[in-house]
Amino acid sequence: MAVNSIGSKNFISRTTNALSQRIVNAMPNMTVSSQSTLNAVKWVGQKISSPQNRLILGASALMTQPFIDLSNKKVDEETRKVSAARTVAKIIAGTLTGVAVRSGCIHGIDAFTKFASEVTPNMKFARLRTLFTPNGVVLHDLNQYKKSLGTIVSLFVMLVTNFLIDAPLTKFLTNKFVDQIHKKDALKNQKSESIDSIQLSSKNKEVVNES
Amino acid sequence: MSLSSMFNNFKNCVARNYGEHPGKMLIHTGIIGWVLSSAAQVAAIVINDKIPKEQKMYLIPQEIADAGVNIASFYLITQSFKSLASKLVSTGKWLPKTVRTFLDNNGYSNNVGKVAFDVLDDAKLPADLASSYKGFSDGIDVLATTAGSILSCNIVTPILRNQIAARRQQTGIAKLNANKSSDSSESEKPQIVKPQGLRAPSMTDFQHRLYSSPNLKI
Repeated sequence: MAVNSIGSKNFISRTTNALSQRIVNAMPNMTVSSQSTLNAVKWVGQKISSPQNRLILGASALMTQPFIDLSNKKVDEETRKVSAARTVAKIIAGTLTGVAVRSGCIHGIDAFTKFASEVTPNMKFARLRTLFTPNGVVLHDLNQYKKSLGTIVSLFVMLVTNFLIDAPLTKFLTNKFVDQIHKKDALKNQKSESIDSIQLSSKNKEVVNES
Repeated sequence: MSLSSMFNNFKNCVARNYGEHPGKMLIHTGIIGWVLSSAAQVAAIVINDKIPKEQKMYLIPQEIADAGVNIASFYLITQSFKSLASKLVSTGKWLPKTVRTFLDNNGYSNNVGKVAFDVLDDAKLPADLASSYKGFSDGIDVLATTAGSILSCNIVTPILRNQIAARRQQTGIAKLNANKSSDSSESEKPQIVKPQGLRAPSMTDFQHRLYSSPNLKI
């Protein structure tokens, strides 16, 4: 039984390795020689964390999701418009709250995650400044740790803000956007009706003239 | 275990797992975000007294299925992007020029691109090159994770969700029509009043569920 399970584990590991090797072989080699590109990649690794990631996701969502909803031919036009409006509202509300809460939590955690050597007696709340500092793992740089802990804390904060801020803000923005859509539609209908009536009256005039 | 030691364990666990791996943190917190957001949706249905029990039996599994699609597509796509990018950097396929030159000059060029080869562990890079390699590796990790999240959250998941919802809507309408036709054929028989909670979901119900559920990504 044990021999069988080791055998099957080896088989899975060999297969996974062979598959990984094929994929790696299929990818082109890339050597980055430009110092500015290297600096940019390094900057991304150091500075881009969950708030920036959420902002990028939100901005790119605005560029794709409404169009996906608008091109969903399986529902009627009115539903498509309302769903796109709701998607835009949801993205704006979710991104604003998401970025603000993540950023706030990371800053909060940052204030209370110091190495003991960084704490001076004249600091406010000096005793609490090492509250979140890990004491069983040696890290030379606390930056990524602070961002990770801040992001984890923010997820729990967002469980509350999701209902208190996101949902009402989404509803408010959706209603605004839907109102705008309805106003535009009404204006379009009015225009097309007036064009139709002008065309009809000019046709009538032509008929009268001919007779 | 005391509260203080639990807190210490939690801090150390975060430091050990995410203290030097920004890409891994973005994926895992992304998944936790989806799970918590979906759990909130399910909880909102469970605690809503206005929804009849029979409809809850239909809505809760549907919400869980939606969460499954969201989480699976996020994890599969984002993790694949991250793993592939990490592998390309660790095997030496994608490298800064300084590190590539070091590998070529020290006889490692034949190992480049082999999955068993790890630049940082096997090539014994000098401290300055190791630091430059680490910065490059972290940056590629975050770029790949971000690209994977954009693809999964903003393109694949909405398309999948629309497809699934449209299919559900069609099945629901078909059921509704079948019920209507069986109702009309039985109109001469003695009428049995249906309990309100047992009605088949209508097209409006499906559209309402699909386009007005909060379903907010945390």
